[in-house]
Formats: sequence, structure tokens, C-alpha cells
Amino acid sequence: MKQDQATSELQARFEAEALPLLSGMYSTAFRLTRNAADAEDLIQETFLRAYRGFHQFEEGTNLKAWLYRILMNTFINSYRKKQRQPQTVSDDEVPEWYLYSKMAESGMEPSAEASVIESLPDEDVQAALSSLPEQFRAAVLLADVEGFSYKEIAEITGVPIGTVMSRLHRGRKALEKRLWDVVRERGLVRD
Amino acid sequence: MFEISCEEVLREVELYIDGELEQARASHLADHLRGCTPCMRHAEFRARLKEIVRTKCRSEAPEHLVVRIRTVIREEQGPTSV
Repeated sequence: MKQDQATSELQARFEAEALPLLSGMYSTAFRLTRNAADAEDLIQETFLRAYRGFHQFEEGTNLKAWLYRILMNTFINSYRKKQRQPQTVSDDEVPEWYLYSKMAESGMEPSAEASVIESLPDEDVQAALSSLPEQFRAAVLLADVEGFSYKEIAEITGVPIGTVMSRLHRGRKALEKRLWDVVRERGLVRD
Repeated sequence: MFEISCEEVLREVELYIDGELEQARASHLADHLRGCTPCMRHAEFRARLKEIVRTKCRSEAPEHLVVRIRTVIREEQGPTSV
């Protein structure tokens, strides 16, 4: 039947084009929900919604951004309610170049500064990122982990580019502060 | 040539590393960075930090999840194709 053929073509195309993006999206889902079970459910719901709306997706446009937009919307609608936390970062007291200056003050060689952060276990960096309020965490995730442009992040999160830039900048500063706390707690630098 | 101050460079280097500066502005910044060790160190630190976040914050999707999603999609289209 014609209908069946169209459906199976759509399904084949979805499996070929959308499913390969699942792995990267799982990282984002995990960092957003902060646990594996919720991340899996979020991914399932996202892909189901995406599949149901796939006939409306305009071929040749940005599939990855389209899927991440569904992911963000699904997260906001289904999971954010569960995660009550303040949506601001108190970064007013975090100066620019906070981490760089702190490292330099601790007497470290310029080339060694980033290496200290690099030597941290992945879990520490993930925990530092996870501790950021959701909007800031999402901006840093989408820019630094997923490599989206500001314009794409604006489309994915449904806010103006100026807001993306501000969230990204403040999110990174807050992340620097958390990372500095971690390297200090681990005794990797002199305070 | 049009000069940029260290202050301007340090303010815009985040955009530069994100690849969000206009080409002309980006090449002015690159010129400055080549000739200014302190700014270059700041820029390198910022770039490495971005790279550290990228590599350390990835989590592989469990294999069973891909199977689960594929199954869900195939079941989804079955009964509706009437």
C-alpha cells in the first residue's frame, strides 16, 4: 500500500539520519537530568516526539538543531518541574578571568595551569558543570560540548542571541569558580 | 594598522574562541595575540578549558538505549498505518 510505503521510507530515513545523533544527545540529556534513568526516558520521549513530527521536518535544514530543540522542550515540559533549584548564578562577585588569575596567583607556570584542570577526573568536571543552574548549564553544554553556534543555541533554547551570550559568559564564570573549588579541595594547588 | 588594546582582546577572546567574531575582527585579534604573550596565554587557557569541558563531559549512550529507541519507533508506526 502507498501509505505503508511512505511510512516505511520515513522510518528508514529517520533511523538513518536521526538515530546516529542519539549518542551525543544522551550526553546532553544526562547532564540536564543528572541521572541515567531520567536521561534514558528523556531521550526516548524526545525521539518519539521527533519521529511523530518528522514528516514536518524540512529536509536539508539543520536536523541536529531541530532534534536538540525537541530535547530541550521535552526536558523543560517534563523534567524541570521535578528539579527545583534557583535559576540564577550568584556570579556578581566572580571577576573576569577568575580561574586563570587564581591559578597564576598560586604560583603555577602558565603552561601548567590548564594541565591541572585536565588532570581532574572526568566526574569532577561533570559534577562542576552539573552544579550550574539549568539555563547556564544548557548554554555551556550546547556551546562547548555540542559545538553549536550562538545562533543555533538561540533557536534551540528559544531565546535571543544576546541572552545566549550572557548565559554562556555567566555560566562559564560560575563553572570556573566551581573548578577552582575542586582543584583546591583536591590539594592540587596552593591556596 | 588598526590596533586593538589588550583590554579589548581579553574582552572579546571568548567570542573569538567560539568562532563568533566577524572575520575582519577575528584577524585583528589573531594579529594581536601573535605579538602579545600575556594575551596569548589567556587565550590558550580559555581554549583549553573549552576543550576540557568538551572531552570530559561526554557520556556514551548505553547500547540497550539505541535498541530500545529503535523498537519504540517501529512499534509506533505499526498500528497507525491503516
